[in-house]
Amino acid sequence: MSSLSFDFSPVDGPNEQVGDNPHAQESTNCADAVAALKERFAEDVHDVVLYANEHTVRVSRERLLEVAGFLKNDLGFAYLVDLGATDRFTEDDRFEVFYNLVSIKSQKRLRLKVWVDEENAVVDSVSGLFRSANWYEREAWDMMGIRFEGHEDLRRMFMPEDFEYHPQRKEFPLLGIPGSLPLPSRTPGGELTMDPYASASGDKPIKSYEEESSEEE
Amino acid sequence: MSTNVSQYAGEDYFRFWPRHNAALFRRLETKHSWLEPAGGDGVATDVLENEMVLNIGPQHPATHGVLRCAVKLDGEIIEKCVLDIGYLHRGIEKLAESKSYQEFMPYTDRMDYLAPYSTNVAWCLAVEKLAGIEVPDRAQWVRMMMVELARISAHLLWMGVGLMDAGAVSVFLWAFQSREDIYKIFDHVAGARFTVSHSRIGGLASDVSPEALALIADFADRFPAVIDGWEKLLNRNRIWIDRNAGIGVMSADDVMGLGMTGPNLRGSGVEYDIRRFEPYLKYDEVDFVIPIRTEGDCLARYFVRLREMKESVKIIRQCLEKLPAGPIRSDNAKHAYASKDEVYYSMEGMIHDFMYTSEGVTPPRGAEVYHAIEAPKGELGFFLQSDGTGNPWRCHMNSPSYSNLQGLETMLEGAAMGDMVVLIGTVDPVMGEADK
Repeated sequence: MSSLSFDFSPVDGPNEQVGDNPHAQESTNCADAVAALKERFAEDVHDVVLYANEHTVRVSRERLLEVAGFLKNDLGFAYLVDLGATDRFTEDDRFEVFYNLVSIKSQKRLRLKVWVDEENAVVDSVSGLFRSANWYEREAWDMMGIRFEGHEDLRRMFMPEDFEYHPQRKEFPLLGIPGSLPLPSRTPGGELTMDPYASASGDKPIKSYEEESSEEE
Repeated sequence: MSTNVSQYAGEDYFRFWPRHNAALFRRLETKHSWLEPAGGDGVATDVLENEMVLNIGPQHPATHGVLRCAVKLDGEIIEKCVLDIGYLHRGIEKLAESKSYQEFMPYTDRMDYLAPYSTNVAWCLAVEKLAGIEVPDRAQWVRMMMVELARISAHLLWMGVGLMDAGAVSVFLWAFQSREDIYKIFDHVAGARFTVSHSRIGGLASDVSPEALALIADFADRFPAVIDGWEKLLNRNRIWIDRNAGIGVMSADDVMGLGMTGPNLRGSGVEYDIRRFEPYLKYDEVDFVIPIRTEGDCLARYFVRLREMKESVKIIRQCLEKLPAGPIRSDNAKHAYASKDEVYYSMEGMIHDFMYTSEGVTPPRGAEVYHAIEAPKGELGFFLQSDGTGNPWRCHMNSPSYSNLQGLETMLEGAAMGDMVVLIGTVDPVMGEADK
């Protein structure tokens, strides 16, 4: 993991403000909610960023459930639209989990964020508060390898359980890892085949259909 | 299809992807069931062994793609259901990280392949928001018109397939007659019938010709009569009503809690449509109604979608009326491709073209945005993070089919096995989009 190097990683948070964004929406400016959060969770609200009129609030990982509960029950952000994780590729606080919360009543959309370290990549699951978090958290676990504590069913979402990597991490190669995932056999009851890259490097030769059927006879 | 479930728990039971399959069926076994046993209270064992574990998919014609459902049946009732997706997973989000913003555009066609134009526009708008790119008015109106055509074509396919699932094959063919008209329009406008890739960052690839506009106007004139025909056929159709009324009922709290979007949300009475919630393009300048039903069953979702098609025609008519003259792409060479006239006849134009292809848009470092549109299936949003280079640092896609499938798992529990196909149809998933 550490042997790979990249030219750039966004260590800084979003810090540039484009003046008048032509696509900015009124709904993403949640000044009231941000003020309420700051008042309630004074030093646990770390960053408040406004870019393209979108408010992003980063809070302490330890108090995520409290913050999410407060947003849901007191401020009306009851609809979790999206949840995902980002690999910041930094030494500390490598991963970032973002929550896209919508309050239909007050027509507001707020982005909540927590940072989590690579060594102990565990975040409290919000699936108890928002049922929709179930699949989104499974996806974040599958793709980024962040565990969600208190999730009742943290299986992989897209990749099979037999796959051992978390492909959306930055160190995962774009071509994939040869031989990491077996493919179905070409004949009924035949041997499992490997992906083209693995078989090209001689990992496991693929037998043609004719060869294998003649062997059986 | 044995009744003995515990044998699945071992990993050595499966030859292929043993850990995955074991985990899937273990989940099915341990999942909490909200249903009471069919025998009623006090009846502990059933003599006839009517419990069955059934695996449906991923290769099944009625699952609309490669959707795999593992269900536990109690007689004919689905007691528990576990969906397994990912059979069409291509790692689109990862691919986006190594593509420039413009290069990624054709990939978006392959996500929701029933309405490619919507995904194109969603991607463009997200990038434009990230980089603060202004789009000329004409391009916005044309985009809006085409997105509404895409909505009609997606809903048409939903209806054709949905009715085929319920047993009426001929409607599928009739739906494709109108879809063919829309393909023809796309062919005129974009040069491709299906995977259009017509929208560009900062505008459009090419202007719409008068012939294309005439085709669209002709379609908008003829199509309401077609919908009326379907209403005549279906609204009082005994079989269609019986298959849909009271099936798959979801309350407003359920759909919101499960994060469902689009017609599934509005069929249960939640007033949430991005076109009104966060009006993008020119949706705040046109007059249209967002249909809402409160029943929350399959029939309500059918009415919502049917009405949406009518409203789309209304929007298209207004677009044709209000379509302004003017450029179709941003004039800023850092924001959009230079026009071909410039590229072929001037040195600067060629340099701009070259630079835009090799580098492209470079949004400010550290910027991040989420932009959503109301795609035919619901809220389709892109979350983008920029590192100041020409490639996105992170592209996360919030796809409506994915959100809706999560709700389907709950919707299926308690439904009859015979309704399963209708329920999958009513949620209208596209696996290209759900599997990312």
